[in-house]
Amino acid sequence: MKIAVFWGCCIQANQYAYEMSLRETLPEFGIELVDLQDTTCCGDPVKSMNEFAATYLAARVLSLANQTGLDDMLVPCNRCHFTISEAKDTIRRNAKTAKKVFELLKEEGLEYNPNIRIWHTIDLLHDLVGLDRIKKAVKKPLKGLRTASHVGCQIVRYTDLGRIDNAENPKKLDELIAALGAESVDYPEKLDCCGAALNRSHPDSALSLAGSKLKAVQSLNVGCMLVSCPDCQLMFDSKQREAGTTVGAKLNVPVVYYTQLLGVALGIDEKKLGLQLNQSPIEELVAKIQG
Amino acid sequence: MSLIDLMSMAKPNQESRDKILARLKGKELVNCFQCMKCTSGCTALKLLELKPNEIIKLVNLGFVDELPSSDIIWTCVTCLKCVERCPQKASPYHVIMALRNLAVEKEAKVPEGFLKAVSEILETGLAEPPQKIVTRKMETVDRTCLRLPKIKSPKGSFQAVFMKAMEEK
Amino acid sequence: MTRIGVYVCHCGLNIAGVVDVEKVAAYAKTLPNVVAAKHYTYMCSEPGQRLIQEDIKTHKLDRIVIATCSPRMHEDTFRRAVAEAGLNPYLTEIVNLREHVSWAHTHEPEKATEKAKALVRMGVARAELLEPLEKRKVNVEKNVLVVGGGIAGIQASLDLANAGFKVYLVEKAPSIGGRMAQLDKTFPTLDCSACILTPKMVDVAKHRNITLLTNAEVTAVNGFVGNYDVSILKKPRYIDEKKCVGCEICTKVCPVKVPDNFNENLAQKRAVYIYSAHAVPRIAIISPEHCLRLRYDKDVCGKCQTACEAKAVNFKQKPETTQVKVGGIVVAVGSEVFDAARMAELGYGRFKNVISNMEFERISDASGPTNGKIQSPRDGKTPKTIAFIQCVGSRDKRFHEYCCRVGCMVTLKQAILAREKIHDNVRIYVCYIDLRAFGKGYDEFYRRAREMDIDFVASIPSEIHEAPDRSLYFDVYDKGTNKLLQVHADMVVLGTGLVPNSDLAKISALFHASRSADGFLLEAHPKLRPLESAMAGVFLAGACQGPKDIPDTVAQASGAAAKAIDLLSSGEIELEPLKAVVDKDLCSGCRICESICPFVAIEMKSETVQGEKKLRAEVIEGMCQGCGACSSACPTSAIKIQQYNNKQVLTQVEAALAETCPEGGK
Repeated sequence: MKIAVFWGCCIQANQYAYEMSLRETLPEFGIELVDLQDTTCCGDPVKSMNEFAATYLAARVLSLANQTGLDDMLVPCNRCHFTISEAKDTIRRNAKTAKKVFELLKEEGLEYNPNIRIWHTIDLLHDLVGLDRIKKAVKKPLKGLRTASHVGCQIVRYTDLGRIDNAENPKKLDELIAALGAESVDYPEKLDCCGAALNRSHPDSALSLAGSKLKAVQSLNVGCMLVSCPDCQLMFDSKQREAGTTVGAKLNVPVVYYTQLLGVALGIDEKKLGLQLNQSPIEELVAKIQG
Repeated sequence: MSLIDLMSMAKPNQESRDKILARLKGKELVNCFQCMKCTSGCTALKLLELKPNEIIKLVNLGFVDELPSSDIIWTCVTCLKCVERCPQKASPYHVIMALRNLAVEKEAKVPEGFLKAVSEILETGLAEPPQKIVTRKMETVDRTCLRLPKIKSPKGSFQAVFMKAMEEK
Repeated sequence: MTRIGVYVCHCGLNIAGVVDVEKVAAYAKTLPNVVAAKHYTYMCSEPGQRLIQEDIKTHKLDRIVIATCSPRMHEDTFRRAVAEAGLNPYLTEIVNLREHVSWAHTHEPEKATEKAKALVRMGVARAELLEPLEKRKVNVEKNVLVVGGGIAGIQASLDLANAGFKVYLVEKAPSIGGRMAQLDKTFPTLDCSACILTPKMVDVAKHRNITLLTNAEVTAVNGFVGNYDVSILKKPRYIDEKKCVGCEICTKVCPVKVPDNFNENLAQKRAVYIYSAHAVPRIAIISPEHCLRLRYDKDVCGKCQTACEAKAVNFKQKPETTQVKVGGIVVAVGSEVFDAARMAELGYGRFKNVISNMEFERISDASGPTNGKIQSPRDGKTPKTIAFIQCVGSRDKRFHEYCCRVGCMVTLKQAILAREKIHDNVRIYVCYIDLRAFGKGYDEFYRRAREMDIDFVASIPSEIHEAPDRSLYFDVYDKGTNKLLQVHADMVVLGTGLVPNSDLAKISALFHASRSADGFLLEAHPKLRPLESAMAGVFLAGACQGPKDIPDTVAQASGAAAKAIDLLSSGEIELEPLKAVVDKDLCSGCRICESICPFVAIEMKSETVQGEKKLRAEVIEGMCQGCGACSSACPTSAIKIQQYNNKQVLTQVEAALAETCPEGGK
């Protein structure tokens, strides 16, 4: 099945492991990703400056998807998914805004399509591919692996907009983890934010938030922490050392994308999944699974 | 002349308040009854002292003008817990976004990070350019050596249209 | 040639403040057949009514037009006044100059006056065609059905029974008592709930005028006010009610454990059980979903049957249906408690020590699962810190927008009880949005709580967590101190509000009692008629009409009983004649009226006409509300509403257009 994909900025700028692991794992389930041409930012950072311009940018992404002729689009980043979902809602409700947006799109010869179904990695795997198919495809079941899942904020909140899982009790990522044979533990800080949004204005506070959560996860003695958003990975993995310094803790939490773990369970080569790129100490984790 | 803040001698500004209300989806912020659920659970409270209930109350009473120039509106982590849980759907997050937009309109101080993102989008279409990163083994890699597709910038017409969009009030 | 009198009311300044009433009266005098036209400050007052009555004699009037406020206000008053003067009351026409003119067009007095004149012109034209009508009397049953055996139903039943009426009290559960039976103490007096309730329960059981039907439900209601036909289904207890003595030997030998819903599932009962400690009637009941013999339809177990010395167990018992005829119905089906699991961030259902007010009540009750000892459900230990969190599920656009009215008082009561039982060894925090202590003695009760070292935090938390040691904690930003506080508690009690019953849709349909936007049953008028539904003869009492505490419930129940007594005591009621009538010669039997009637007031009767069998529509007068839907739908104009036939309506249209100019809009 062909699905369009919008990577957004973070993934294409430095969170390559997410892109790699998605490109490697999805074909195992018959999904062919079709990149959008000449993409631009979804509008997330622009929201704080001019909400209309952000709506326009998100609509532009949907117009690019329209050009592929496909009905479905994967948006692996939580923030992009939220921004595009809100823009869809705004255009649907506010005819004045919609008109202005369509006029701007027309200047580039683009046409908006309200019927494109937006997917995130988690619901694509959980609802479209299905837990059974994943279970069957697993070659290296991760028995005995305890994990802490971090699904993120903007992908489950706010319910009135229509998100991919229950806001207070999201279960899909945990079920995806269980499908690999691993265990996802419950912990009080599960729904806490990674803090990435503060990077543009209060970077120290962002690190502090990430550090606090990592500290809490560390005390769970799990094999790894799983994320499914480039911003969350940036905070918990790429910036783990800095976060540890900020909160005065020595952090040693292996953090991987769910799709990376999925790839390993499917028997795909480490290097292809970008596991060399993770900054957090994942050697033991990978060795355990491989061995 | 019905209300004065005796600490700052500020008076409510209905026009500014109406501006904020016009930017919001609905008018539910007027329903806020200060239950404090948003602030009790605010991710940015402990570190940055953001009190969403206070922001809503200030806007409701009309004390809007002091907010766009304040740093407090840039402390929101956008975790959306306040939107999810508010019993009156007052949605402090959306009010804060509207205040940020107002700050930009009034040319108040905006954090560098956002300005950088906008200029980057103007130039390349993306908020960040593709970077070289380092593996755990200290090797430098980029998109090309990882065999990831090249990023193409959008055609020239995008810049002009995006600028037009940014002009929209 | 009719002789019409027109009376224009000032309604103080309500009408006269906008409409030039003198001009309108003067104009009325110029209309055809108008013999007298006057204006007065308050037509509904005694002098106003006398004015009309004297004019009827002096001017020999035979039609009266009163231009005043909405007929919903004083139409009855004026009809009575006219009747007293010897004229048929249905020869009175009310023209609405208030709701339709002065209140709608407050800022356009000149145009308003012109409109007032036009409406009076229409009223006068119609008045000419009014026919004298008579109210019809029907006999009524002096019996009342009371649905629901909680304190509302109990009170209403006793009031009715004491007034000499026969009452059928139907209760869904195996015992009466409802929610009040589940309470430990009642606010603000801290009376023991069972102590004040059980005497009334026993009175009900013993009263010779009350037929108590427990484990029963109403399945059908037919007929009309004063003459209802009700079907009641008595579900089988599988216990012979005449033989069971309530000794409970059977419960001790039954091997099947079942969650005990009376104790809010904090304890277990057996498949054969007595509903509660103070059950009335004190008769056992077997649950067919849990009993091994009944569930699997096999000849197994039967231990209860063997053990029962009274030989009361009867596995073959069948459901019974009874038909009763009643004159009125009091609906008192109560309410349910909000399921706090729906507010998932508070951990109800995930953390055992997060409980609802009702669960706390059962724990506190001496006849409850812990014999009245305050202890945490998870480990049975006495809590060192208890936190109450208010407005769970209420005042919330996500769940129910209304205020549950009792939550604050319930929590105050429970906080005080906790203090009294555990003394100084517990810290008690109440987290609230607004603390509502509105009733008699209520704010004094709140003061009492503050004096007992109970801490009040005017803020509610966002989420509750469980610490590694299984204790509970949550953050709350206290408005008073401006501090972000973390509360560590062993027990968190959620102020879960009262919500409409899950089967209220069924009740609503059964008794034709509509529901308000909040989901509860709708009263006929929120201010002036809080005890009646819009359906004649169906009264409302207790929490089913809206959440309320015991004093309000008892007051409403007694009021509803009084209303029913008022309706039925004379043994007959008068039916308004403004109903549909069928001209059988014009009726083609097409049944369109029958299908359209929202009150199920039209029956098709088979008649033999000139040797042929034909269907003709017939109106059930008692059910007909005179809405007119049938009249407008009938293709042959066979069915009409009295006083609203085509001519009577169309003459008003002609009168309305009589003085308009061709260009319009002037």
